[in-house]
Amino acid sequence: MLSDPQSHLQRPDPATEYLPATIPSFEDKVTDLGKKILAGIRVERASILSKQYWSQRFMEWSTKTPSLKRNLFRLVDVLPSLESSDAISDHIAQYLGDEASTLPTWAAWGIRPPGSATKAIMASGVRLGVRQMAAQFIAGETPRAALGTLRSIRRSGFAFTVDLLGEYCVSEREAESYLKRYIECLTVLGSSVPKWRESRSLMQDNPGDSRAACVSVKLTALYSQVSSLNQKRSVTLLSDRLALLANEARQANAQIYVDAEDSANNEIIYKAFKRVFSSAEFRGDFLVGCVVQAYSRHAATLLTDLLSFSKERGCPIAIRLVKGAYWDHETTVARQNGWSSPLFSHKSSADANFERLSRFLIDNHERLFPAFGSHNVRSLSHACVYAESRGVPKSAFELQMLFGMADPIARAYRHHGHLVRLYVPLGPLLPGMGYLVRRLLENTSNESFLRHTFFDDHTTDALLTAPQFDPEDR
Amino acid sequence: MNTPFFVNEPFTDFSVSSNRKLLRDALERLESTRSTAGLVAYPIINGQRRTTPNIFEREDPSTKDIQLGTIHFASRDDVDEAFSSIEEGRLGWQDTPISERASILNRAASIMQDRRHDLNALIIREVGKPWKEADADVAEAIDFCRYYAERAFHFASPIATSDIPGEENVLVYHPRGTAVVIAPWNFPFAIACGMTVAALVTGNGTILKPAEQSSLVGFALAELLLAAGVPPNAFAFLPGQGEDIGRALVEDKRVDLICFTGSRAVGQQIISSAATPYPEQRAIKRVIAELGGKNAIIVDEDADEDDAIRGILASAFGFAGQKCSACSRLIVVGKQYSRFIERLIEAAADLIVGPSAQPETVVGPVVDDDAYQRLNRTIEHARQECRVVVAARNGSEGYFIPPTIIVDPPLTSSWWSEELFGPVICTTSVATFDDALRLATDSPYALTGGVFSRNPRNLEAAKRHFAVGNLYLNRAITGALVARQPFGGSRMSGIGSKAGGPDYLLQFVEPRTITENTSRRGFVPEIASS
Repeated sequence: MLSDPQSHLQRPDPATEYLPATIPSFEDKVTDLGKKILAGIRVERASILSKQYWSQRFMEWSTKTPSLKRNLFRLVDVLPSLESSDAISDHIAQYLGDEASTLPTWAAWGIRPPGSATKAIMASGVRLGVRQMAAQFIAGETPRAALGTLRSIRRSGFAFTVDLLGEYCVSEREAESYLKRYIECLTVLGSSVPKWRESRSLMQDNPGDSRAACVSVKLTALYSQVSSLNQKRSVTLLSDRLALLANEARQANAQIYVDAEDSANNEIIYKAFKRVFSSAEFRGDFLVGCVVQAYSRHAATLLTDLLSFSKERGCPIAIRLVKGAYWDHETTVARQNGWSSPLFSHKSSADANFERLSRFLIDNHERLFPAFGSHNVRSLSHACVYAESRGVPKSAFELQMLFGMADPIARAYRHHGHLVRLYVPLGPLLPGMGYLVRRLLENTSNESFLRHTFFDDHTTDALLTAPQFDPEDR
Repeated sequence: MNTPFFVNEPFTDFSVSSNRKLLRDALERLESTRSTAGLVAYPIINGQRRTTPNIFEREDPSTKDIQLGTIHFASRDDVDEAFSSIEEGRLGWQDTPISERASILNRAASIMQDRRHDLNALIIREVGKPWKEADADVAEAIDFCRYYAERAFHFASPIATSDIPGEENVLVYHPRGTAVVIAPWNFPFAIACGMTVAALVTGNGTILKPAEQSSLVGFALAELLLAAGVPPNAFAFLPGQGEDIGRALVEDKRVDLICFTGSRAVGQQIISSAATPYPEQRAIKRVIAELGGKNAIIVDEDADEDDAIRGILASAFGFAGQKCSACSRLIVVGKQYSRFIERLIEAAADLIVGPSAQPETVVGPVVDDDAYQRLNRTIEHARQECRVVVAARNGSEGYFIPPTIIVDPPLTSSWWSEELFGPVICTTSVATFDDALRLATDSPYALTGGVFSRNPRNLEAAKRHFAVGNLYLNRAITGALVARQPFGGSRMSGIGSKAGGPDYLLQFVEPRTITENTSRRGFVPEIASS
């Protein structure tokens, strides 16, 4: 069974299938590693809490009541678009007026009950708070401005990949400006990163770190009329534009990941990825990456397809395996339209699928370089232990985490000898707010591993339990 | 969250490639029928197709050189015969149990589901609707059938009022008699279907006249209703010109109810005609009229710009702006105005304009040469007085008007105040949100309206003072769904209650009370038994 890596993707009932059961004391090893990691990060908790004052306050408050959470998110969402102090203090009063008395401390937001505070002080206090929260997750407005942060990331022993935040792309002029931003980003990275002494390899024989510069591309930002009904033109134009970036990346000696987005557009995204990187010009480009979302019901099929693609191409590609970030959005769209969702309906199923696909990637690491993207200690430890038990070295894969989200976890895995890459968003604050809101939502969600780890004091055993497919998702 | 009591028919998910293929195949089938046997529509009276000498050739608005189909327009004699047939049939129909009338509607809905993509294809070709919007048209028709089938039961059993000893009172609903339905071309299937099945399920004999531009779709609907089991003498289908057949239908003495959706001018003519009694007229004609709109969207200072741009594009240019719910006035609060408008202009200019049968088309053609000429004249005229931005024309042969933005027209101009019914939007800026609300509601119409804002106070003010039939906050203002957003306006936007809403059918019935003296020579059952 182990000799055929695809067999466990084709089994009829993924829930009863648990390949590592054949490996002696596999679960114990996962738990052991997980415990080591968790022991390390819980010690760090105190220092995190003091460093990330604003977002910690935010998270504490937003878990108090659903209506407070809703209002806080709406406030953070609207703040960057407000220009005057009057507008800011007015919105604060409106969103938090009734709730304000339940907050632990007025002073924390620079707020006093309306009337007694000067608006300017209140407004600048809140603006500062939001900026600080954003700065925790967003490394700077431009690639040049972020170079310092990127360099210090390398210095601390992490790899990085850069992501560009921006407005929704509604016109071709905006698509062009995105393209220029990506090209500029590659140029800036290409002209500075290789010169840093920090850019020498973090892990000698790990192909993931053969180049220090790395950019993640949101493909749909490059064409304003992307739609599955406009599929032909979407794939053609996005391929052309991605080819330009692939060429720039080569010049800059940078790795490229093409991000996955919502299910409606992913078909187009994968088609463009495959078209460009199977072309005569780019088929030899080493370890170009794409992303597979484990919460998708089609993820296993997709991964099998990407394996054949890699074989045909004759040069390995990288796969960032993630749980997926559009669950709320897609589930809402599906419900509003009366469609069945393309995603698993339970988080536990996405977790279980993540593990199943992790094993597939480890078993095929020579063609599909695995990059496990998660903050979940259970998910990551499972992948690491499975690799070890199959004799796959740590240098054959990497872990990826979001910048600013889980630094202690990232450090813990690095200490444990893994290559860890941070996903680093750049961009102006206003369009970056959507990203910030998503991160905060993630941290405050009832199902958040980070929240369970850092705030809710879930027991170690609870955090490390093996996930199961929910019966509804079988 | 309330559990919805009515589940809308899902739109087709065109991100699934097999679904795209279904519609592509249907379009091919339709084209092969068109180019061989030809597409033909006839009047239907007593279940029989009539051929007539009044032939109308309908062209495909996407490629005007192609004749799409041949329509046999009904004659005045056909009108007379249709009424005679219905006079005979409607009494039997009104005595048909409600369960049976409702199940005919549900059967019609099932046939529509089965023929979904063939119907989509016909709508795409005949009126130039893009794929998604054609599909939504059929979904809405299915919703109307199912929703009215369910609602009709509310009017089927006697309602006890208040009884006292010796007297029994009930209120019952009766059909009004004969209904004339005059349908528009812009929702050629959904609206024609909704008005027709509402009249039928409440027990009225019904004559449907489609818009001449959508007679083929109307004919498909008529045949489908008969196939679902509507008795041939309870329903007739009479294609024809509005001024001719429409007028004859409205003026006939045998009409009890006129249900119209269309322009304000025609609606007002119908209302005044209905108010004028003709010799031997048997009833004061009841008119239900859904007319136009000059709908505004307000973009507040703190709006989410991405959401606003996308919402406005969909509301103003979807189906080339040919919806009564479409956005045609944009009011932006504050100094972001010029930056916002420039972004909108660029976005509008990049929308894909093209033949509706091509899946990628976002803005298709306008419906016919009249609309095309009229809109071109309007745009030319506006150009002489203010800044007008028109997206590039595509090279195709159809009646294409690219997305057009009239920037800062005088607020007294006709462009600002009159319904243009095309992909044309006027924009203006105001200083405060209150100004925006005043300007938005300063219109003879009151159909739809929208606000993009993240200011709770302003959203609350909009809920109170933005008096339109359908108000949308932080989303597009088109695409009302049956039961979820019952649709219809007030003022010059129409009379009658909302289509797809709980009290719509009430307009198709008349209430009667029946009082029975139950005492006999001093014997009063209630007293005797107590």
